[in-house]
Amino acid sequence: MTESKKMEEKILSIRDLSISFQTALGRVDAIRGVEMDLYRGETLAIVGESGSGKSVTMKAVMGILSSNGVINSGSIDFSYYDNHEKIDVDILKLTKKHMRSHINGKHIAMIFQDPMTSLNPTMNIGAQIMEGMIWHKRANKKEAYQRALELLELVGITDAKKRMKNYPHQLSGGMRQRVVIAIALACNPDLLICDEPTTALDVTIQAKILELIKDIQKKMNISVIYITHDLGVVAKVADYVAVMYAGKIVEKGTVDEVFYDPKHPYTWGLLSAMPDLDTFDDVLYTIPGSPPNLSHKVEGDAFADRNIYALNIDHRLEPPMFKITDTHYAATWLLHEKAPKVEMPQALRDRIDRMLKEASDDGK
Amino acid sequence: MANKQPLLDVKDLKQFFRISNKFTVKAVNGVSFHIYPGETYGLVGESGSGKSTIGRSVIRLYDPTAGTINFDGVDISGKLSDTEVQHLRTNMQMIFQDPMASLNPRRKVLDIIAQGLDVHHLYQSKQEREERVYQILEKVGLSREHANRYPHQFSGGQRQRIGIARALIMNPKLIIADEAISALDVSIQAQVVNLMKEIQKETNIAFLFIAHDLSMVKYISDRIGVLHLGYLLETGTKEEIFSNPVHPYTRSLLSAIPLSNPRVEKHRTSETYDYETSGIDYAKGVSNHIDGTHYVHATPEELKKWL
Repeated sequence: MTESKKMEEKILSIRDLSISFQTALGRVDAIRGVEMDLYRGETLAIVGESGSGKSVTMKAVMGILSSNGVINSGSIDFSYYDNHEKIDVDILKLTKKHMRSHINGKHIAMIFQDPMTSLNPTMNIGAQIMEGMIWHKRANKKEAYQRALELLELVGITDAKKRMKNYPHQLSGGMRQRVVIAIALACNPDLLICDEPTTALDVTIQAKILELIKDIQKKMNISVIYITHDLGVVAKVADYVAVMYAGKIVEKGTVDEVFYDPKHPYTWGLLSAMPDLDTFDDVLYTIPGSPPNLSHKVEGDAFADRNIYALNIDHRLEPPMFKITDTHYAATWLLHEKAPKVEMPQALRDRIDRMLKEASDDGK
Repeated sequence: MANKQPLLDVKDLKQFFRISNKFTVKAVNGVSFHIYPGETYGLVGESGSGKSTIGRSVIRLYDPTAGTINFDGVDISGKLSDTEVQHLRTNMQMIFQDPMASLNPRRKVLDIIAQGLDVHHLYQSKQEREERVYQILEKVGLSREHANRYPHQFSGGQRQRIGIARALIMNPKLIIADEAISALDVSIQAQVVNLMKEIQKETNIAFLFIAHDLSMVKYISDRIGVLHLGYLLETGTKEEIFSNPVHPYTRSLLSAIPLSNPRVEKHRTSETYDYETSGIDYAKGVSNHIDGTHYVHATPEELKKWL
């Protein structure tokens, strides 16, 4: 895995990203030093509670931060192909105008949570799919129309010719999200960002949409970033997982590492809080307390107050990222060589053992 | 279980909406189920299956087209007298999906929670009113300082607690929770669900829990009903439904839940179910008893094929 990875090309590399917002209540440090890498054709899932900064990070990548957002430091290196020529840029150094005409929609596309609000209710869906191609690729109407038909078929909409003339309100929620995916794919992006793409949809449709995105990803060799809080979705689609808490990544690794060998107490909490279909416990585990207010300066580890495993140092000094394997990192002092040995909660241990057993049974 | 009197007994409920002379939406088409005191009944199904409509018909936001709804010994499906309205509006309460949209942004939490008391004149003095709100706030895990704030000053999970407090203050026998936790974060969902369970243990309230997230429904419910296109296709205890799903729609619904086990989930594809091509006609089916409380809606031939 690690050797083959070096052969692959890095498409996105975020370094030391820090973003604040000026609000009426003072400065809020929403992102505090995020580092992230993504390789071509791979899938990264970012999980965390609301307010942990997952959407803000991705908005920074798209260059669509709200106007009160300030980027304090960091870089977002993105590489893409334009006419078979490789171009490397630092997104944070580009002007908004350049982003709009060269990057957004063309090389980085985004799918939002609610398909009703992300479509234009006054345009038929054909025109909405063609719009991007005509604008970015200077395609003529006929080419664009042909490509739009192909895209609708690709995303599994039957009777595409008739559907081209439909308006968003004439389609069901699942259909609308398929149209949004078709629009996102219209210009062959290098990177697709899906912000809670299935939260507004039913389970049955959710499964179909996720399988669709996975399928298209394989066909077109694009990289996908999922923002989600559903760990089931993560398990289904992701190669890599980054767990965010209070504007930082607290644990990252391959999906196997994070699900079967989590190291950070916050990840333990997240995994324990999720009801799985085999638990019959009386009370669901919850992480005590609530996330810190980021308008105050965070002393030490932001998670320390909610962490029953917190050490003294957690309240004073922020833990660095400790390396566990080449791909697996976690920011907790528990991994320091001098820290007392703390194991994950027994209930979680049992559940992971059960999952591993299921997985090996499944393999047979 | 059998000799206990159900708190809510819905028989053959039909709820149609006439759109035009030619077209009527049959949102709920002959659904029967019952809920015992202190029990949680989960209704699941995709959007458009009629699960929210059932909730709204039961609490009489709609006038049912046909069928009977018996609540706490009173038939509430026809025209209601004033005393029946009084009885229904105090003993049955609802919690809605979006806590931001369902709380009046211009009123203080104290007034929002006390509104039911105000409407039904259930207190003697201003002090008593406040005291009762404070008690309820503490019960749902908020403190009395929160009473003088406005909804926007709370986080999503706290807002939903206010919604629960507003329902609880009437001392209801049944609470209808319509997607009450769908808009919340996973970690917050767990907190709210725990709270609901705790309150149920304490006060013996029954819940009608409407949701599309099956793993949460399984966790909270005693019995589950699966709805599709206005028909109740399968109902039974959660063990019966999850370990022995009979109807192909139930099976596809269960297989669509993403498991949080990456190695299994990666190469698993969900079962598909398409009503139009499946050859199943819900209108022809009848309710068949499997065992215990497990019923499946099917024709005899279909049932033979599935078992």
